[in-house]
Amino acid sequence: MGAPLLSVRGVSKSFGEVHALQEVSLEFSRGDIVGLVGSNGAGKTTLLRLLCGLYRPTIGDVVHHATDGSEHAVDSVRQNLGVVPESTGLYHRLTAWENIRYHSRLSGVRDSQAWNRTVRLARALDIEDALHRSTRGFSKGMRQKTALLRALAHDPDLLLLDEPTAGLDVTSARKVRGLVQMLQQEGRTVIYSTHHLAEAEQVCDRIIVIHNGTVRSDGSPSDLMLHTNTDSLEEAYVALTLDASREVSDAEVYGWFQRQWIALLSRFSTGERIDIDEVNEDE
Amino acid sequence: MSEPKRWPGRVALVVAKKELLDLVRDWRTLVALVLVPLIILPLLFIALPLFLEGESEELDSIQLNVVVQLVDGGDFPDPLDTRLQQANISVRFESLEPGQGNLSEPREDEERLRLAVRNGSIHAILRLEESATNSTESWNYAILHDSTSELSREARGRLHDSVAEWEDEIMEENLADVGLTVDEATNPIRWDGDFAAADVSTAAESAGLVLSMLIPLLIAVWSASAAMQPSIDLTAGERERGTMESLLCTAATRVELLFGKWLAVAIVGAGAVLLQIAIFLAAFSFLLPAGYLGIPELDAVSILSLVLSVILFATSVVAIELALAVRARSVKEAGTTLAPLLMAFIAPALFAQFVNLEGIELWWFAAPVFNVCLAMREALLGVYDPVHIAIWASTSVIYAILAVGWASKQFNREDLVESIN
Repeated sequence: MGAPLLSVRGVSKSFGEVHALQEVSLEFSRGDIVGLVGSNGAGKTTLLRLLCGLYRPTIGDVVHHATDGSEHAVDSVRQNLGVVPESTGLYHRLTAWENIRYHSRLSGVRDSQAWNRTVRLARALDIEDALHRSTRGFSKGMRQKTALLRALAHDPDLLLLDEPTAGLDVTSARKVRGLVQMLQQEGRTVIYSTHHLAEAEQVCDRIIVIHNGTVRSDGSPSDLMLHTNTDSLEEAYVALTLDASREVSDAEVYGWFQRQWIALLSRFSTGERIDIDEVNEDE
Repeated sequence: MSEPKRWPGRVALVVAKKELLDLVRDWRTLVALVLVPLIILPLLFIALPLFLEGESEELDSIQLNVVVQLVDGGDFPDPLDTRLQQANISVRFESLEPGQGNLSEPREDEERLRLAVRNGSIHAILRLEESATNSTESWNYAILHDSTSELSREARGRLHDSVAEWEDEIMEENLADVGLTVDEATNPIRWDGDFAAADVSTAAESAGLVLSMLIPLLIAVWSASAAMQPSIDLTAGERERGTMESLLCTAATRVELLFGKWLAVAIVGAGAVLLQIAIFLAAFSFLLPAGYLGIPELDAVSILSLVLSVILFATSVVAIELALAVRARSVKEAGTTLAPLLMAFIAPALFAQFVNLEGIELWWFAAPVFNVCLAMREALLGVYDPVHIAIWASTSVIYAILAVGWASKQFNREDLVESIN
């Protein structure tokens, strides 16, 4: 685990009567690739906006840890932050490079430096030839890639991506995932919201499941499955986001027992010694 | 990654440069701010009068058909006949039965004239009746016409002018018979010489007076209207297109972003207003006789007052428009919000043109919009009153600070990241 980068401490966020997030506490370390997984309206985008300082918490704090150990409000460290919002937010009367250059200039980066970095990353995303084209006619994939380049042009330590592969074709989504993995190798932190569990499993070291504004689980994909006693991340997600107030059907209860028996028999058949005390009382 | 030196205002300039580039590439902005003034104002002030003149000449060349009805079939006076011929009127004579009410009553001619005007055979009827008086010559007359027909109205006008000239001629003859001229009889007290020559003001002062009635109004109205489209595009437009969220995530502070956007709108608005005033003055001087509209002589204080009042006014206007527009989540919503605001600037600016500057109460110079309009009027008239200047300058600074403060507050709203999409 790397040095701490961001701390979310007891944060709740309300919009009038709507409680978008409730008592969320999270720690993000340098070099992490974290997936925020949840259904529409779960609170992922709200959390990302709190992390980049667009929203102020109703209760609690979000702080950035500098390398010297000091703590700062996230607003003051935007220089180290790259964000790709859900709507890519490109100016369609400008070219891709003009869009990227504008944001890098706002971050105080020289055009030559931003250009060199952009060209290198554009090659990785296979978008180099489109840099001087107007973004008006860009496909969804091209816009997403341009937004990624724009977020990375000023060389940030932390990247916040809101559904970066939503609506992308298989090839484009793969290139975006490849870029994220490349960023991890460079030691950057990426917080990545997605609907796709398979993608989260493939890309992220750690997955945070958010449901109805609360964190239901936080850990590695295998931790999640172990914790929920499920075979796949999808089942783990379903188990984690079951509404406690909802009545559980007989079929679901039967299915759970069936899975537990199969797991036990499987271990028994391999000759593993099973201690009856292992069986959790809750289970 | 090494960074260029951050100096105050650098980010605002980056924002303003990008916004100007973006606006220049927007054909709607170009049409609204450049093409419309370039076409509409010359059309209004040059092409329209030329067109009307041409239409009038075309109408003059048309021969009109008139029936002259003489009561009891009397003789048609020669002087009037000559004048009708000169007026390109073709005459047909008829006799009119006497003693059936006054001459203006259409009688049985009502339906006949209406039909005749429609098919163009008759455009008007002139009724004449010689009256028995002591004078040498006296007539009663009436002109029947159809006011809904352009040619009938034209015929009435020509007949009226011809009759008036004939009347002047009779009057001149009558007066000559008793040894008087027309002036002696009808205009015994007369102005001697040229009216304009008696005005002791210089051409520059006259120009200042004319412009003081026009320029403040135009600047107030055009500043408000020219800033509207870019204000909406740079705020509500950004929210609608989803670009605001990514912009707010950058290292630039919201105040820097606001200032950059303000600068861009102010530059575009100022450019549009200057262009409109230049075209307006060019078109206006085209209509007036040569040398009528001079250049006002302004001293340094007047120029400074003029520039300062415009800058302070524009600061407030642009800030208010940006603040209102940024609250809207779509261009349509912003347009609906800002359109009525235009009236809030037009009404006082219009009113301020009629406020009497002599002995004016001081509070006028503290009232929003009025104060800058009156300041511009005084500057163009070369009036230098330190108390007036102190009041309008201080209140304008206060209004500008309040407007910018409010705009800044609006730019710090959390919901700025949300868009209608």
